[in-house]
Amino acid sequence: MIWTLMRINLTRLLHSKTELLLSFVVPIAFFSIFALIFGRGIGAGATTKVKVSIVDLMQDPASEQILQTLAEHEGLRWMDEPSDPLLTLDAARKAVQRGRVAAAIVLKAAVSERGQQEVVAEVLVDSSDPIAGNLVSAVVTQTLAAVKAARAAAISKQSMAMSHGAGQRLASLKTRQMETATGVLPVQAVMLPRPAMSRDDAVQTTSSTEPVPVETVIQDVQIVDVLGSGKANPVVSMYASGIAVMFLLFGAVGGGGALLEERENTTLERLLSTKLTMDQMLLGKWFYLTLLGLAQVTLMFIWGQLVFQIDLLSHWDGFLMMTVVTSMAAAAFGLFLATLCKSRGQLNALSMIIVLTMSALGGSMVPRYVMSERMRELGMWTFNAWALDGYNKVFWRELSVRQLWPQLAVLMIAGVAFLLLARVLAFRWEKD
Amino acid sequence: MIQSSPPALEIDQLTKRFGTREALRGVSFRLEAGERLAFLGPNGAGKTTLIRSIAARTSPSGGSIKIFGQSPDDSRTHQLIGFVPQEIALYGDLTARQNLKAFGRFYGLKGTLLRQRLSWALEWTGLADRANELVRNFSGGMKRRINIACGVLHRPQLILLDEPTVGVDPQSREHIFGMLDKLNDAGTAILLTTHNLDEAQSRSDRIVVIDHGRMVADGTFSELVQETVGNSRLVKVRLDKPLTRPIELTGMRTTLEERVVGQSGEQSIHTRLSDVNEDLGRLVQLIKRNGYQVADLEIRSPSLRHVFLHLTGQELRD
Repeated sequence: MIWTLMRINLTRLLHSKTELLLSFVVPIAFFSIFALIFGRGIGAGATTKVKVSIVDLMQDPASEQILQTLAEHEGLRWMDEPSDPLLTLDAARKAVQRGRVAAAIVLKAAVSERGQQEVVAEVLVDSSDPIAGNLVSAVVTQTLAAVKAARAAAISKQSMAMSHGAGQRLASLKTRQMETATGVLPVQAVMLPRPAMSRDDAVQTTSSTEPVPVETVIQDVQIVDVLGSGKANPVVSMYASGIAVMFLLFGAVGGGGALLEERENTTLERLLSTKLTMDQMLLGKWFYLTLLGLAQVTLMFIWGQLVFQIDLLSHWDGFLMMTVVTSMAAAAFGLFLATLCKSRGQLNALSMIIVLTMSALGGSMVPRYVMSERMRELGMWTFNAWALDGYNKVFWRELSVRQLWPQLAVLMIAGVAFLLLARVLAFRWEKD
Repeated sequence: MIQSSPPALEIDQLTKRFGTREALRGVSFRLEAGERLAFLGPNGAGKTTLIRSIAARTSPSGGSIKIFGQSPDDSRTHQLIGFVPQEIALYGDLTARQNLKAFGRFYGLKGTLLRQRLSWALEWTGLADRANELVRNFSGGMKRRINIACGVLHRPQLILLDEPTVGVDPQSREHIFGMLDKLNDAGTAILLTTHNLDEAQSRSDRIVVIDHGRMVADGTFSELVQETVGNSRLVKVRLDKPLTRPIELTGMRTTLEERVVGQSGEQSIHTRLSDVNEDLGRLVQLIKRNGYQVADLEIRSPSLRHVFLHLTGQELRD
């Protein structure tokens, strides 16, 4: 008996392509996607470089030396030329806010309480991408530490030289100046105007008219969160949009599946024998699914506002634009998938694979900042990525609605394209 | 000048091919306004394909269809037809009233007219007291009734019913045909497909028999009987006493090749007479001549089953 039951179930499984696909292909497909995101393969093949802007407000040899060291680091990709006069602190801050760069490094001068010239390194980070922020901070800290060490060694050498006489000291200093100019040493005592000298630590000079080498004190790195500060519960809005978009897709596919049910039980045939046309049928379902999606996401964000302090009310305009367009695109996508399939079972299998893949690549499941450059590029083929970028601009980066045009345009074009494809595919149902 | 109205349905040399398979092979017939026509055939004979072609749900490969003189593809024709598919094509998670309302709207009804038709349909189906219950909770017969009602709310002049009583108990079947008779009395032409012989025989004015996509007969039941079985009838005679030996049928024509009937010890005889008008008297005289009296006599009427058997050479297969 038990053997017979087992054989029946196995035979049924072998007869069902959908079941076979779900049982054996889908798990492997998902394992591969996540392996590519987190492990080797495409994900690790291309070295992830963090996009940064670097602003040198000091514009002196010391900061130049630091920049030179940072430039050699493989983990950073400079998106701007530090010498660009337009690259101000404000421009760097905006670049981080708009997501053009993951972090900005600002080198600026300060004078310590003891009157010493200081290099202050600020890293402007976007806390929605903690990996990039931490990585850049670590790189800058490491660079400054290396420079500090080199400087300490140089000072020690200088002190020893001083003990051998002023003439030798002067010669030594000249040599170091030359070395510094040619970049042999990371950073050294540099020629600074007299007022910047420290009374305690500075190298004493024998003449007030002659430039003297003065050490520049390098401070630790200061991390400035340019986006998360001031927000009640900053990261929740990102997760809310990720989940919302994924469930929009599932909802739309479920709604599209109703069309297949109607076809399977001949209700569709009956409806099309009335005054109803296929155009009206698809448009009716599209509008319904769009409104359903709009209600679904709105309800979720209202809940987020009430319970998790998502600031919906202040961003209602951007939210509404993104949600309407995303719902329209998701609804069209659901109808497209439904018209592509022959049965509800086939749709279930196909939608599970496609929606979960799009959600994984598009950032609904795993933040896209953990992915390699190549995976991120792949993700841009999903509309999860475009939708999430749009919601991030609204809730996280707090940009004006005008900045949403790329996301709105892509989603609208995708929506119209999917709807047209669904219409073309539905021709076969009008008269078969 | 008197202008005759066009027939409700006129089909001429209709063919339909699905790949290499021919579902319809030159079917031609007419259905007059107010007439009831049963489209009879075994499963796979082409009945549903024909109904779908009339309802413009599939394009014929050849031939023509005219509905009240118009093409089925003409949008005005949709209002003339009421299409009731074989499956229960309803929304199970809507109530009976909501289903009727939805289909009424799809047929272009609204406002007061829609409300009137809704009330009529609920009364007509006998489901007024269950109007607000979900259809999925209904019995098979009740679902069938709503299924039909959704197709006739707009008062079509031609109703296409694809096996409307499949899986329905006799009581519900009777109810459904009662409903259809009311529509027919009001002048609506009805075309129903079925493979139920009794239903076709008793519920139609005319019968078209189709097998393997080809039309094999078209006429009233009497005409079909005349064309096939003719005047031959099966006769059963009960005698006053048991036979001592079989009776020889001398001077009589029978459809069977038997020349003697009955067996020793039996008190009745069965035989098929080629022409009951001429041979019945002779049979009675022959029985008397052999020393027996007729205690009872039964002439079996030919049924559609006999007609079908005669036409297709086989029982109606499932």
